[in-house]
Amino acid sequence: MGGPAPATGVVRRRAALLLLALALAGCAERRDGPAPVTLVFKHAKILGPSDPMPGLLRDFERRHPGVTVRSEPLTWTSDEQHQFYVINLDGASPTFDVLMLDVIWVPEFAQAGWLLDLSPWVTREELAPHFPAAVEAATWGGRVWGLPWNMNVGVVYYRADLLAKYGLHPPTTWEALAEQTARIRAGEGDRRLDGVLWQGKQYEGLVCNVLEHFWGSGTALLGPDARVLPDPSRAEAALTFMRGLVDRGLSPGWVTAGDEELTRRPFGDGRAVFLRSWPYALDLFEQAGSPVRGRVGIAALPGHAGGATGAGATGGFHLAVNRRSRHAEAAVALVRYLAGESAERALTAAGVALYPTRMALYHDPEIVRARPSMPRFHDLMLAARPRPVTPYYLMLSTTVQPEFSAALVGVKTPSRALADARRRLEYMLGGLR
Amino acid sequence: MTARQRADRLAGLAFVAPAALTVAGLALYPGLWVLWLSLQQRIPIFGITRFVGLEHYAFLGSDPRFWNAVRVTLVFTGASVALELVLGLVVALALQRQQVGRRLALSLLLLAWALPSVVTAKLFEWLYHPSAGLVNVLLGGRAFNWLGDPSLALPGLIVADVWRTMPFVALLCYARLLTIPPEVYEAARVDGAGRLATLTSVTLPLVRPILLVALLFRTLDALRAFDLMYVLTGGGPAGTTETLTVYAYRSLFQTLQLGFGAAIGVVIFAIVMAIAAGYLRALRREGLAA
Repeated sequence: MGGPAPATGVVRRRAALLLLALALAGCAERRDGPAPVTLVFKHAKILGPSDPMPGLLRDFERRHPGVTVRSEPLTWTSDEQHQFYVINLDGASPTFDVLMLDVIWVPEFAQAGWLLDLSPWVTREELAPHFPAAVEAATWGGRVWGLPWNMNVGVVYYRADLLAKYGLHPPTTWEALAEQTARIRAGEGDRRLDGVLWQGKQYEGLVCNVLEHFWGSGTALLGPDARVLPDPSRAEAALTFMRGLVDRGLSPGWVTAGDEELTRRPFGDGRAVFLRSWPYALDLFEQAGSPVRGRVGIAALPGHAGGATGAGATGGFHLAVNRRSRHAEAAVALVRYLAGESAERALTAAGVALYPTRMALYHDPEIVRARPSMPRFHDLMLAARPRPVTPYYLMLSTTVQPEFSAALVGVKTPSRALADARRRLEYMLGGLR
Repeated sequence: MTARQRADRLAGLAFVAPAALTVAGLALYPGLWVLWLSLQQRIPIFGITRFVGLEHYAFLGSDPRFWNAVRVTLVFTGASVALELVLGLVVALALQRQQVGRRLALSLLLLAWALPSVVTAKLFEWLYHPSAGLVNVLLGGRAFNWLGDPSLALPGLIVADVWRTMPFVALLCYARLLTIPPEVYEAARVDGAGRLATLTSVTLPLVRPILLVALLFRTLDALRAFDLMYVLTGGGPAGTTETLTVYAYRSLFQTLQLGFGAAIGVVIFAIVMAIAAGYLRALRREGLAA
């Protein structure tokens, strides 16, 4: 230090003045604008050619001076994410403010009192541009608990070249699909060509597949009055049909252990006629070097003869705010920014394998030029249905999984499996409501 | 007691205190908490917290899913540990005889052991793939539905577990074999012992204590196995590979029945402790444990 040192008393007085000035400045700032805050955003890493998240977060910070966003990665496994959230949110941990969560957890977390009610900020009009199925999954008990961020829908892929060769049109019923499969396989005479692939492993994906058959048969897992399996005979017919696909050799026996990737690969290698999967698979079928490039068509989930029009099950992720967040205002702003038009557009344009929840983007000329199948997916997502929107969803799903699986592998008859599922569910849910 | 003795005693207590406190804080406290949790009906999403006593345990007693999980856990543990011990010993004996490439063989063995079990599970997912998997190709292109057939899924998991942990047993036994002095074998030869007699009356008795240690470790690990079935089958098909740990996990973290899940956890703990106590008694008889 240069210059003569001032007397200590003076230093102390100056320091006190400085502190006072700082404190006043702090108060003044709070009155003028938000005090500096750091938001923690928990989300899974965005997979794709480039990660648009850092750019989006910096843009948000520019628009909200004084707010810094730190993003903390989650694993991609849905179960591990759920476990992480349960432990931290149940422990009333304020260590993160904004969270990305699977659509099926929204009512559960809301009921648990872990999410901030977004209703005071988010109006119905703000939700209107999102797909109805996504909005339905974001609301519970008449309140808004999350903003839809990205979306998934069950679709049927078919080999357009094979269908054309036999003069067939994409089927609208499962019965027609089965018939076409039998005809094409007989005509091709290729032992290595499988018929229809779907996910029959004992896991969440199986529930999606079964629900789609239920809906196509005109019934549901949870009735409108929250009754479990309201129409057992139709549900039984749907399960019997699924089991029949395996028994009749239209689906290979191993679909009872198939998940998304196990079923996606053989179809991608040109070794199946139909595949029930999600939109992400299309990007892989159409990439350079793919054996099925330019030969894949997309169809809606079929219905069942004498049942109803088919509908795909929806999935995806929503954004919500931790109720324990100390910066609710800023956190809500971040959620609204990320679920906003420009952020969803940026995510879609970056070519990540996630599909936006905003309907307008599916007809945006710039996006459609890069991803020509967007308008097709728009129609499928518009017709899609969410899995039962209830806080008990995971209990429901994990209880029926072993029963559905038992029916598919023939350990139980479909009617027995459904009766067992129903008894167990009524016992578990009955004591709670 | 003299002052000196008293001082020694205090010093001793002071030295033990950090370890005792650590054990109490890290094991005893959470353990007791889980026990307390298991006596409650606690489901945060329904805002339910009430004391139910032994109700969960009573329910488990008549819960077919629980008894199925007990059976699966015991079959998995028994079969995989038995196979691991036999194969591990055979591999160790083979390694001892091997002249060329022993280091390479050891490295390959370690590789299987070092892989995280989730990676192993993913590996086997492809090996077991019904149409493209190596296992079915090696079996002459037969379309065995390994993970989707209720009678094949559990054996499939056992094979995967054996592949993954057999090297652990093999290395333990191999290390023991290296320390057997050659004089012992020379003496056996002088006594006119053939190969079989050498194996059964010299090698095996000398390896036996280490096998018991391996047995203890492997049994306790296998009872708590989780990753393999969780990744490969998710407990399916039809619940035929759902172990107690998977059932507990589903109840705890997926359906958030914290009290009910804790009760399953306590049962697992009781089983593990009972088996560990049995083994320790056996080891004590061997003079291997204090």
